[in-house]
Amino acid sequence: MSLSQTPSSSSVNERKTSWTFQARNPVSLRLYKVLGTTFDDEATRESLATLSELYAKSVTAKGKETQRIDTEEDGDDETSAKVDGPFFVEGVPGESAARARKNLRRDMEMKLTEGSQHFLKVLSEVDEKLVALQTHVAAMRTSCDEAEKQLQLTDEASKSLLERAGNLREERQEVEVKKSIVSLFLSRFTLNEEETEAMVSRDVPVGKRFFDAMDKTERIREDCRVLMAGEEGPTKAGLDIMTSTSSHLEQSYEKIFRWCSHEFLQIGRDSQLEVSVTMREAVRRLRKRPELLTEALTSLSQTRQNTLQTSFLNALTRGGPSGLPRPIELHAHDPMRYIGDMLAWVHQAIAAEREFLEGLFGLKSDRRMVGSVRAFGEKPSEEEEWIRELMDLAVGRLCVPMKIRVQQTIKSQESSITSYRIVNLLQFYLHTMQNTIGKDAILSKALEELTEMAYKSFYDSIEAQCRGLLRAGLELDDSSVTPPIPILDHAQVLREIMSVYQSSILEDASTSDQIAGFRKIADVMVNPAVEMCIISAEEKKKVRHKWDMEVFVLNCLTYLLSVLEPFDFTSEAQKSIQGILDTRVEQLTDDHYHNIMVDAGLDEVATTCEKHDNSEPLSHIPSTEPSQLQIALGNFSQWLSGPEVVHSTRLSSLSLQRLHNKIHHTALTRMAKAYEMICEQVRRKENRYEAASTLLGSERPFGQVALLWQIFGLREDGL
Amino acid sequence: MPFNDYETDATELLETYDFLMKYIVIGEAGTGKSCLLHHFTHNSFKDHSQHTIGVEFSSRTIRLGEKRIKLQLWDTAGQERFRSVTRSYYRGAAGAILVYDITKLSLIASSFPSSRESFQKLSRWLADARALASSHLVVVLVGNKSDREEEREVEWAEASRWAAENDVHFLEASSLTGDNVEAPFMLAARSILLSIESGALDPEKAGSGVSYGDRALRRVNSSSRLSFGSLSRGQRRPVKLKVKNWVPGSQCC
Ligand SMILES: Nc1nc2c(ncn2[C@@H]2O[C@H](COP(=O)(O)OP(=O)(O)OP(=O)(O)O)[C@@H](O)[C@H]2O)c(=O)[nH]1
Ligand SMILES: [Mg+2]
Repeated sequence: MSLSQTPSSSSVNERKTSWTFQARNPVSLRLYKVLGTTFDDEATRESLATLSELYAKSVTAKGKETQRIDTEEDGDDETSAKVDGPFFVEGVPGESAARARKNLRRDMEMKLTEGSQHFLKVLSEVDEKLVALQTHVAAMRTSCDEAEKQLQLTDEASKSLLERAGNLREERQEVEVKKSIVSLFLSRFTLNEEETEAMVSRDVPVGKRFFDAMDKTERIREDCRVLMAGEEGPTKAGLDIMTSTSSHLEQSYEKIFRWCSHEFLQIGRDSQLEVSVTMREAVRRLRKRPELLTEALTSLSQTRQNTLQTSFLNALTRGGPSGLPRPIELHAHDPMRYIGDMLAWVHQAIAAEREFLEGLFGLKSDRRMVGSVRAFGEKPSEEEEWIRELMDLAVGRLCVPMKIRVQQTIKSQESSITSYRIVNLLQFYLHTMQNTIGKDAILSKALEELTEMAYKSFYDSIEAQCRGLLRAGLELDDSSVTPPIPILDHAQVLREIMSVYQSSILEDASTSDQIAGFRKIADVMVNPAVEMCIISAEEKKKVRHKWDMEVFVLNCLTYLLSVLEPFDFTSEAQKSIQGILDTRVEQLTDDHYHNIMVDAGLDEVATTCEKHDNSEPLSHIPSTEPSQLQIALGNFSQWLSGPEVVHSTRLSSLSLQRLHNKIHHTALTRMAKAYEMICEQVRRKENRYEAASTLLGSERPFGQVALLWQIFGLREDGL
Repeated sequence: MPFNDYETDATELLETYDFLMKYIVIGEAGTGKSCLLHHFTHNSFKDHSQHTIGVEFSSRTIRLGEKRIKLQLWDTAGQERFRSVTRSYYRGAAGAILVYDITKLSLIASSFPSSRESFQKLSRWLADARALASSHLVVVLVGNKSDREEEREVEWAEASRWAAENDVHFLEASSLTGDNVEAPFMLAARSILLSIESGALDPEKAGSGVSYGDRALRRVNSSSRLSFGSLSRGQRRPVKLKVKNWVPGSQCC
């Protein structure tokens, strides 16, 4: 190619210049086209290469001896060697190219023929193969038909199979559902082995697992009952379930019962009580089997009773293990402490017992404190009833040893004051217990009995004291008019009893209750003392006429009154003494008036004047004739200058100054009035006194009543 | 509901205890003994408190470190007329809470408060308690009504000195506000536990005012030695508290 290119490039330039002239010439066009054809394209180059190869081969094939040279030449000039390859065998270069140019056509035709022949040969082979293939295809078609037929058959056959499989699947699903229902049913309506074991076996302790199993059983029975209540009525399965669960359940209740009984025996013996959660749950469940619960609790109660009694006796007689605290009986000589300690011990035991029982029955404490009032009126809950009964029995047992000791203490008391203190202590506890454990509790009853006994013993003792008082009488030789020693002693006892009573009064007690509470003691102790004073004074008076009984009695009465006065609840007794006192004062006043009238010499005159009936003039009556009157008035005048006017010797023996003044003043008032009356009578014309004024005016107070009032230091209006 | 109970920790808290201790609450009438106790057991002030008649009982379980202690509390009447009754309850008490009123010097001292006889009435209460209760009696002196500071008549320092001289614990509290109300009970319990730990006090002995509870006994059985090391270190295991179930105390009768 490069060969032709060089000249062409130069000629292009030439042609360009002459283009316009030769443009219409077809030959030049043709030529130009030929010349313009460039063979430097890929296809041309390839065909040329093929050609050169062809020739090279043909030479190689002709002379083997030239091969070596050929390769040598190749290395020398590649371009020329390639272009000239087929013709360039030996000798002169370009020889083979020439030969190629000469023979090209023939060579090509030969080659073509050769190729065609080869092609034919190959195609015939292909034809042969195709024939064979056809046979094969035919055979295959037959086979396929066969297969298709077969497939059709299979398809039909499998369709029913599939159908069956589908049915089976459905069935299986149904069965599966049924199975899950059944297993659900079973798990819901039967106990598994573990659960049964938990309920029945002794090896599984009473506890959560056991209770869970019980709960399940209960649930099963409940569900079962609901099922059987349906329209179909009880089914056999249902009945079976009920029977088997019933037996399990009973066994479990038995198990709880045995467990409780055992536990109760253990804790029942402890002095400190604690309730475990399991125990509380067990008791709660056992309440569905009252007979079992009753039995278990009965044994618990028995143990508790014994335990409490033993501890009580230990506290009484032995004290603590090392002797501390000291045994309660050590203080038996101090009745208040002895009884107080015993009852406080019982009270504390009750508190602990109550807490234990509340825990046992799962009762939420109502936060009431011991001693505060518990309402016993309303209907108690079942638990509350149990608690009360168990408590009552446990504490009741303590009553026997406690009662004996208290009774002995009561009996051995000599002092009525101590007796009364005991009464109050017992009454305090009676009150506390009635509020805490109820009126009907054994302990309350025992305390009631003891209180009654203590009261009786106390009354016996004060009554005896009063009888002694009456029997003692008064010392006849004793001229004094002050309260005698037996009365003073008696009053002292009374005073102490009253202060004990005072301290026992509750804040909220009404006045009438306070009075009522003391009435009996007042009746026993106050009245006999009053009586004693009066009766024995009268007795003494019979023997000692000069002895001033009236003043003595008044002194005794005012003394007794003064003892009672600080205590409001004795108001009744005070009133009754005051009544007697008033009468006595009146009597003494009369007596005193009479005495001073006699002393003053006016008595006879006054009496005559009072009795005067106007049948004859006073001056004609011997006791009031002028000379007598003159003497009387003279005596009176003298008396007025004596000390008796201001101060009565007799009344000064009255221990109460107030009473002295009152009586004396009343008597003087009456005396003044009597004098006034005498003056009036004397001045009356009908009484025919000559110179009545002179008669009256001759002696003090000269017929002037106002002057007399002055002398007496009194006023007419009695103030 | 009770059914669920036997699993929960909270219930256990209420049910079991390591120790049971008996306390008495003593002091002159009107000093606020019942109010103090009421606040301790009910966590509220007791309105319209009346004079106590005789004695009243209540109880509460407390926690101290890992120990649960059930306290049996005996509230006594302060009025003189109940002295003979209340003294019988001192028997075998392990702790005594001696209460006075900081606003009423006259209730604790004789008529000459400045003399050496001051706090003479307190001394009488203390002597009574020491004579009748457990020989290891732990006493906590409580100056109550600390809320009425403006009416104070008893100085803190003076009471504190008296307490030190008489070997009793001391603190001031208010049953009205609840301030320091738990402290005296805790203090006594701690002190008692310490003397158990030191071996001075043996709960096995009756009359000590202390006894083992079920929990402690169970532990004794398994390890045969009680350790209170936890008391001071106070490493407690968390407890699920069911609040509705938790009543700070429970009563009897
Ligand atoms: N301000 C105040 N008042 C209190 C406090 N504690 C009690 N009180 C009041 O003090 C009074 C007496 O309280 P109580 O608790 O009944 O006294 P007490 O010591 O139990 O009395 P007795 O039972 O008679 O021995 C009541 O009116 C209470 O309201 C307190 O901390 N602060
Ligand atoms: Mg009180």
